[in-house]
Amino acid sequence: MKITSLLILKCHPEGSDPIILANASDVSHFGYFQRSSIREFIVFVSRTVAKRTPPGQRQSVQHEGGLHFVVDFISSLEYMVHSYNRNGLCAIGFMDGHYPVRSAFSLLNQMLDEYQKSFGESWRTAQADSTQNWPYLDEALTKFQDPAEADKLLKIQRELDETKIILHKTIDSVLARGEKLDSLVEKSSDLSAASQMFYNQAKRNNQCCSIL
Amino acid sequence: MPVKVAQSSFRDRTQEFLSVAERLKKSITSGSNQNGPSSSSSRPEDKRSVAAHQSEFNRRASKVGLGIHQTSQKLSKLAKLAKRTSVFDDPTMEIQELTAVIKQDITALNSAVVDLQLFCNSRTEGGVSSDTSSHSTTVVDDLKNRLMSTTKEFKDVLTMRTENLKVHENRRQLFSSTASKDSPNPFVRQRPLAAAKSAAGASNNLPQWANGSASSSQLFPRKQVDGESQPLLPQHQQQQQQMVPLQDSYMQSRAEALQNVESTIHELGTIFNQLATLVSQQGEIAIRIDENMDDTLANVEGAQGALLKYLNSISSNRWLMIKIFFVLILFLMFFLFFVA
Repeated sequence: MKITSLLILKCHPEGSDPIILANASDVSHFGYFQRSSIREFIVFVSRTVAKRTPPGQRQSVQHEGGLHFVVDFISSLEYMVHSYNRNGLCAIGFMDGHYPVRSAFSLLNQMLDEYQKSFGESWRTAQADSTQNWPYLDEALTKFQDPAEADKLLKIQRELDETKIILHKTIDSVLARGEKLDSLVEKSSDLSAASQMFYNQAKRNNQCCSIL
Repeated sequence: MPVKVAQSSFRDRTQEFLSVAERLKKSITSGSNQNGPSSSSSRPEDKRSVAAHQSEFNRRASKVGLGIHQTSQKLSKLAKLAKRTSVFDDPTMEIQELTAVIKQDITALNSAVVDLQLFCNSRTEGGVSSDTSSHSTTVVDDLKNRLMSTTKEFKDVLTMRTENLKVHENRRQLFSSTASKDSPNPFVRQRPLAAAKSAAGASNNLPQWANGSASSSQLFPRKQVDGESQPLLPQHQQQQQQMVPLQDSYMQSRAEALQNVESTIHELGTIFNQLATLVSQQGEIAIRIDENMDDTLANVEGAQGALLKYLNSISSNRWLMIKIFFVLILFLMFFLFFVA
């Protein structure tokens, strides 16, 4: 489950190409010679998808590119491009097929909120691709490789499942404890009966047939 | 068919019962005149109602048995269908229909068996012999067992079908890895998207990328534009159609996840309750153990006291001396009296 890239773009409703406001990509698992071309590919596909995402809508595109760059590298990559357009600000994420869609969209949501918090409305005036890095995006890329981080619901579900497993183990050990308590109660009742017989015997010893 | 045989055996028993009742009636009317007709009339009425009950029971039991037999036949058909699914000719619709039908049948049969059991229990107040009641309970148990085995077979068939599906997916992926990815994941939301795109663009993309790698990097983005715009255009129409369902499914998946979380929390609550019950029960057991040990302690202390007293009485010589002295005095007296 991997995120390859996260981008934020500014979308014009007029149909011109969107402008990239922030970009964070992790192309380290591709071969060295493919990396720059993959970065361009990411930029291009994100522009295209953002142009075609109407405002206020979420969209997922499954791209099965046969990227046969060099023969002996992994050729077919399955990509899912998730895009979320909110009032002209569009967040795009490139993930592989195993990343759950819901976590992807909640991640995009968070990205947009963060961007608006940190940059306010200044992005509306941007005209050219911004080349400066936004450190939050890089952190987010590494942090959210695990979808549970992005999606609170997934995290809660996971924790609840763990708790359930622990509770099952607890109940098993409580049942074993019950069995041991049962054996203890039997032994203690035997002991009490034996001690009672012992007492009666000792008393009988003292009473009749006094020493003659 | 086993059901017919069972039915005929019920019918036979009823005839015997009726003949015995006739004989008894004759023997009673020969004995007493006044009570005879009334009791005999009430007795055949009883027997008739009993017989009516019995035949009603028989009819229902035979219906249930027939239903079970038919369901098992359908199940064997389903099993054959599920086994023979090849890679390309997949009778999924039939299998699903048959599965739904069988499920309905099984639930209906279940409720029928439960009704039968209630009916059998409710009629034992009519003063019938224990033989008939044990017979009917045996019949009900037999029907229940047959239904249970049918349900188990159904479950096995379903698991076999899911395994077959997985095997087919693997084989399909093996043979057609890049060209057609439309079948392996039927649950991927973008399947129509992917199908359209792959159908339109697979043939375009591959040569585009291949050419792109051969040419220089400056030609590359241009060829990308040409190659991508073509498959994206037909895709765009599909995208428009898929947009609203995608929004919906996103919301739906969120709602579903919330419901899952809620049900998990609920289960956790029940588990905690059970845990509390278990622990309180064990607490009672622990208290009993404690009382037993207290009794034991008291007994052993008492026994120790008794033994100490015994030890004292053994270790002291007072009584011995008194007894010896007594015996000596006796002999003295004896000698004094006889000699002197």
